[in-house]
Amino acid sequence: MTPPGDRREDGATGLRTPTPGAAPAPRVILDEGAAPAPRLDFGWEKAVAVVAPPGSRGWSSLALLGAGAAVLVLGLSLLEAGNFVAAQFARAAWLGWLTLAVAVGGFGLVFAAIGREARGYLALRTVDRARAAHARGDVAVLQAELEAWQARLPPGLPRTGNLRDMPMDAACALVEAKTLAPIAQDAAALGRAAAMQAFAVTAVSPSPGLDALVFAWRGIRLVRQVAALHGFRPGIAGTVSLLRRVALDAATVAATDVAVDAMVRGVLSSRIAEHVAGEAAAAAVAARRMILLARTADEACRILPRG
Amino acid sequence: MDPLSLLRVVLDTTEDAARALIGRERIRLAVTGLSRAGKTVFLTSLIANLLAAGRGARTLPALSDAAGGRIRRVFVVPADTETVPRFDPDAHLGALAADPPRWPERTEDFSTLSLAIDVERRTSLGGLLPERRVTLDLIDYPGEWLLDLPMLRQGHAAWSAETLARLRRGTRAAAAADFLAFIDSLPPEAPAEDVLAKRGFTLYRDALRACRDTHGLRFLQPGRFLNPGPRGEAPLLWFFPLPDSVRGGLADLCARRYAAYLDDQRANFLDPFFSRFHRQVVLVDVLGALHAGQEAFTDTAEALAAVAAIISGANWLERLLGAAPSRVAFAATKADHVPTRARDSLAALVEHITLGARGRAEASGATVSCHAVAAIRCTEDAVARLEGQAVAAVRGVLLQEGVGATIYPGEVPMKPPEPAFWDAGLFSMPEFRPPRLDRHGASGMPHLGLDALLAWLVADLL
Repeated sequence: MTPPGDRREDGATGLRTPTPGAAPAPRVILDEGAAPAPRLDFGWEKAVAVVAPPGSRGWSSLALLGAGAAVLVLGLSLLEAGNFVAAQFARAAWLGWLTLAVAVGGFGLVFAAIGREARGYLALRTVDRARAAHARGDVAVLQAELEAWQARLPPGLPRTGNLRDMPMDAACALVEAKTLAPIAQDAAALGRAAAMQAFAVTAVSPSPGLDALVFAWRGIRLVRQVAALHGFRPGIAGTVSLLRRVALDAATVAATDVAVDAMVRGVLSSRIAEHVAGEAAAAAVAARRMILLARTADEACRILPRG
Repeated sequence: MDPLSLLRVVLDTTEDAARALIGRERIRLAVTGLSRAGKTVFLTSLIANLLAAGRGARTLPALSDAAGGRIRRVFVVPADTETVPRFDPDAHLGALAADPPRWPERTEDFSTLSLAIDVERRTSLGGLLPERRVTLDLIDYPGEWLLDLPMLRQGHAAWSAETLARLRRGTRAAAAADFLAFIDSLPPEAPAEDVLAKRGFTLYRDALRACRDTHGLRFLQPGRFLNPGPRGEAPLLWFFPLPDSVRGGLADLCARRYAAYLDDQRANFLDPFFSRFHRQVVLVDVLGALHAGQEAFTDTAEALAAVAAIISGANWLERLLGAAPSRVAFAATKADHVPTRARDSLAALVEHITLGARGRAEASGATVSCHAVAAIRCTEDAVARLEGQAVAAVRGVLLQEGVGATIYPGEVPMKPPEPAFWDAGLFSMPEFRPPRLDRHGASGMPHLGLDALLAWLVADLL
């Protein structure tokens, strides 16, 4: 709105005539020279920047202990093997070559196993990196992580084509529909199969101790199978990390299952049900847990957050 | 309340209770305000800052603190309705961040958006239990249409008498001189001729436009005369206020179209969007009204009171069933147009200008609060030397010229000013360029007081 009488004098627009002694009238005072001015910058990005959680102060004592023990065992073994190979060469050349071949073969297998463990463990970090990129809206990093993840997926799983030049929301929706949804279905199928086995074993097993053992073994195998669907091949360290992640995500998955689970447990663990179904009630609860575990593992391995 | 509405309210209340039980609450936040109050920018800023807060940025510290730091994620979810266009915060943000920047155009149609806010539960075992998901429903619409709501309780005759009485007073009379001359010249038995109806509509519409654009007035009805929306100026709009003396076919035609217009607005505007909401924020460009003169100032207050009578006025049954907002915030927008020390005065002034509206809301059982906010902060505090004295001012970059300027917005009284205040004349606040913004909205956008407003409005529901 420009009221009548708008005027600009000496770089100022004053529309209210000041009266003596009164407060000055509103006005606009243009900067000297009237050169184009840059837009204001309040440093907003820095002021509101995500506060990073306090980082860990290096390795934990347990990790240092483990690493030291590993260095000692591997290093001293290598030195010992070197000395032994040198001693064998001193006895006879053929004996030295043979010992060297044995040592190289043995240590090669050990280092191959360590390498596989490390790869399996580090591959799980992809999930964290991709989810972090998604959370902060970093399109470039997310696209790179998604493409790397797709390349690792087992053959036969549908893949989304070129994700470049696609808005992030659209790319995520496509990955969700084309790849993650079928994986979730496969994971659910694995969960149902494991549930049947857990049900059968728990119902016929003679002791509760054996129940727990079978449940733990089948549970770990299930988690690894679901991880493989997502393109991860975790070794021992990877599996431990995965189990930790599954435990953390369990509460999230329970969001949709808590009511059903409580009902199943309530009904099947009741005295009447126990009387009627006997051990089958506990077996049904174990089976239900296996299905829940499959969903939790799927949740933990998803490269994109749900919803 | 008719039985059908009652059934709908009961069903909605049941749905709300069921959602609360499973931790999937839905909050309908009505962002209301007269035209040019800044609804679109407010919604854009609210969405951008909430999304950024969901990513961990401290864009809304007061809301975050009020919620106990339990907000985990915020993301856009598909709205319930698929027939209404989606509010596009990215496009608005992109326009504000562009070089040269553009402020959103006048809103000409509905748009809607829903945000899902995942929050950790309040209990001590909150970390172990599944998170709650609170969905915030938002709509944007032409502010002019809001003033159709008071018409819903009036017939054509009553509306005509009230409108003509207002039109013959003050600056309106000069702006509507042609229209008033036209209706005064109509014979008592004017026939139901479309030509006459259209002529009267055109003159009345032009008068309303002049009142809005030249005199800064806001109590202008019907809203679709000023902002016809996507369907344009259909013959449905060809009616206008008529004096009692005109009783012929033309009066019947206008009354019929008036009723049809209201039915259309009720079906497309009031019932789908304003029949039920949980919280309400009323945006008021109180500074603009102050600068536009005494008539614009009182006119804005009357318009707000009339709208509040419909929106916030709930009967005991509606209150019992939760169909009325339990918190209503009145916010003076564009608070960055005054220096920091004057913002309290701005909040106090909005308290006075919304006296009638607040009374209605409080009578409906709602808790009321007044705020001064700037959805996007475009200025910084400065000091100007005027007539030998240093005064607090603001400094920004002018939108059109792109040059820096210091603006002294004048004294902001804490209550409606004395008559002498208005003698001085009018002032037109220039438009500012928005500050430097990230067009992807990763860090939201700078604001003033938006977090405190949201904390008061919705933090108790998180």
